[in-house]
Amino acid sequence: MTAGLETKIEAGKAAAPTEDVIEMCSVLVGETIFGIPIMSILEILGTPATQTVPLAPPYIGGLVHYRGEVLTVVSLRSLLGIPGHSRPPDLLVFEGTGEYFGLQVDAVGEVMTVSPRDFEVNPSTLDDRRKSLFAGTYKLNDALLVMLDPARLDPMQLAQ
Amino acid sequence: MDELTREFLIEAQEGLDRMERCLTELEEHPQDGELLADIFRSVHTIKGTTGFLGYSRLESLSHAGENLLGMLRDGKLIVNADMISALLELMDGLRVILQSIEEVGHEGQGRDRAMIQRLHALQFGETAIEASKPTEREKQTVQESLPYEPAASQAQTPSQSQAAVDSTLRVDIDLLNRMMNLVGELVLTRNQILQANNADAGFTLLARRLDMVTADLREAVMKARMQPVSHVFSKFPRLVRDLSQQLNKRVRLQMEGQETELDKSLLEAIKDPLTHSVRNSIDHGIEVPQVREAAGKDPEGLLKLRAYQEGSHVIVEVTDDGGGISVERIRDKAIERKLITAQKAMQLGERELLQLIFLPGFSTAEKVTNVSGRGVGMDVVRTNVEKIGGKVEIDSRPGKGTTLRLRIPLTLAIIPALIVRSRKQDFALPQGALFELVHLTAEQIRTQIEWLENAPLYRLRGRLLPLVFLHKLLEQTEDAEDGAGCYIAVLNADGRRFGLVVDGLADREEIVVKPLSAVLKKIGLFSGATVMGNGEMALILDPGAIAARAAISLTTDEEEAQADGANLDTGEAEFLLVEAGAVEAALPLGDILRIERIPCSAIERIGRTPVLRFEGTLLPLEDFSGILEPQLDADAEITVVVCRDGERHVGITVSQVLDVAAGALLAEAGTDSVVAGVTLLKERVTSVVNLSRIPALPPSLVDPIMLMEVAG
Repeated sequence: MTAGLETKIEAGKAAAPTEDVIEMCSVLVGETIFGIPIMSILEILGTPATQTVPLAPPYIGGLVHYRGEVLTVVSLRSLLGIPGHSRPPDLLVFEGTGEYFGLQVDAVGEVMTVSPRDFEVNPSTLDDRRKSLFAGTYKLNDALLVMLDPARLDPMQLAQ
Repeated sequence: MDELTREFLIEAQEGLDRMERCLTELEEHPQDGELLADIFRSVHTIKGTTGFLGYSRLESLSHAGENLLGMLRDGKLIVNADMISALLELMDGLRVILQSIEEVGHEGQGRDRAMIQRLHALQFGETAIEASKPTEREKQTVQESLPYEPAASQAQTPSQSQAAVDSTLRVDIDLLNRMMNLVGELVLTRNQILQANNADAGFTLLARRLDMVTADLREAVMKARMQPVSHVFSKFPRLVRDLSQQLNKRVRLQMEGQETELDKSLLEAIKDPLTHSVRNSIDHGIEVPQVREAAGKDPEGLLKLRAYQEGSHVIVEVTDDGGGISVERIRDKAIERKLITAQKAMQLGERELLQLIFLPGFSTAEKVTNVSGRGVGMDVVRTNVEKIGGKVEIDSRPGKGTTLRLRIPLTLAIIPALIVRSRKQDFALPQGALFELVHLTAEQIRTQIEWLENAPLYRLRGRLLPLVFLHKLLEQTEDAEDGAGCYIAVLNADGRRFGLVVDGLADREEIVVKPLSAVLKKIGLFSGATVMGNGEMALILDPGAIAARAAISLTTDEEEAQADGANLDTGEAEFLLVEAGAVEAALPLGDILRIERIPCSAIERIGRTPVLRFEGTLLPLEDFSGILEPQLDADAEITVVVCRDGERHVGITVSQVLDVAAGALLAEAGTDSVVAGVTLLKERVTSVVNLSRIPALPPSLVDPIMLMEVAG
């Protein structure tokens, strides 16, 4: 689905600007605002009990019980190498390849609408890790909204 | 009616139902090749099976239909209305016969010649004459063949028993899996509700009721997934026959316990391992008749397949009376194939060497045969069985034969586990691998855990047990609480014996296994996760993987292997020697779960039976020496040995535990029959406590609701 969105963005750029707006859920991690296409989010949970997994890769935030399944949770903070913990993180649930997974963020913000016209690809100065995680940036009036593609945050993907 | 016929009837009915649908559709889409192929398959299946079961009428009828359908399917004929009606009539004819088989057990009488001729005519009339109209003669045969009259006998016998076809229903396996998942969820929720500890008595009662209903529901759903192992066994007679002919061997197959039931998915999973094992037994195990005769054995080899339930496992054994496995040959092969070094091989005991055949790439076959010897086999057997949480054991005596034992859990999804704690985090330890628990106080940790360089060891009944500290293995950096003791969980994982050191124990729970994502599976120490009764999650430890990670080798002690071998030979067993009052008695060590010291005040009585509340259940106590009788101080402590007796647990009150020793069986003078109930222990005849003679608690007391009243 997200791949479809991207192509839509591409198409929007190539063709005359249309009024295709994309609804993004904004989330905060560290100082950065990230946007996740709202359609890709299955559910936003408060701060469910999380079980840490010894010996797991550092970006794994732990396990969460979600509707009878055991969710593997990715910590966006750890993934970006931002040290320390904020207050108990919020959790977003996505459908990954074959199974659901969770994403821990510092806080979930409001839903924003962005226009493909404001989209730009990752700046070349970003480090490789971020380049591989971020899907580009939307210019907001007073800030930048970094687009996240849930498919790239899938723990299966990250493990490779 | 036997299972095979019943299945055939169900299958045939389904085939005919499908055929009926397809035929009517075919009328509208005469060119549809897929429909034709489908109909052909239905008839073909019926034909195939009937021939095998010896139903000649069905066979000849379906054969005629199959011929016509074959031509249609291959496009050599074009479907017309006549053909469709002929096929529909054929179908009715088949139905009548099937019904007769179901009701009276045979096909009944009837004239099929007309029908067969008609089909034949349609088949050839079309190719010979261009015209599609049936000739006058054909029309006449149509009339002759109609109507199909049910056999006289069946009209008179109203079906008493419920028809096999009507009383069963095919259910999509996905749906069953989903039901199983939901039941798993329900079990979790129930566990949480049971732990909710509501003061309201009404609520507690409801919770108990929910508990029971859930348990029943779980059992029912599990039952729905059960199939008898005969489903797998039934293909072996043929396999054995073919293989033995191919290899010029004579093999008699004996099958036992075919009615033992196993979860469908598990049954599927053991199909291949079992086939492998049977092939192996015939190819490598059983010798050719000449060799057998020379060795003084029956020229006909015996291959025994046996299935039985043992606790929460089903055991499937493949036993042959062949040449057995030569340990030396295994060692040589393993060295030759560079699976182990010669130096290492010298250090291995017989049991360990035997385990080498489970290594990938191992095969002792002198030459690669059609049957086996390609180096895939036993490792695949083990991998497949372990994948479903089972175990493979092998037992072999040179010259006598080999037994391969597959130990399969009854169900995949729910397993009993002990919740252990390591640095404030809970983990589930499957009970299957757990043998006993040892508690050490902080003081004992210092004095009783011994270190050989960096390897911690514990002397368990005089033998050194390698220890693995769970918190170290999991790299948990927190410090243990000051002055805290620990527990050693003595585990036996795939023949590797070791003690897992944990900080604490929580409850035993039946846990629902949830798979882990691939990322976490890669860690390799956890086999899944579960949600516990308190709503928290716990990772499920994989004892085998822990042993492998900690480099615990297969029970390295040659001595032990020999001791075990000796036990097998003479029927010796180990006993716990206890003293109770003035009496010394022996308890079979294998049945002992743990030894507890409890204050006398904890013992209650139901009627005259002393009982102990033990982990939320009632434990009947056997006080054979009467040490409970003189009213002891409430503060005085007594020792209770908790034993397993079949499914139940019982406690034996003793004054003290003396020793562990091997006991020999004694035969009554002048006879070969073994005297039950006594053993020769340390040169003294000692009586063995008969656990099964301990009276069961009245069933009403075991009922949870009653238990609450008694206990509360």
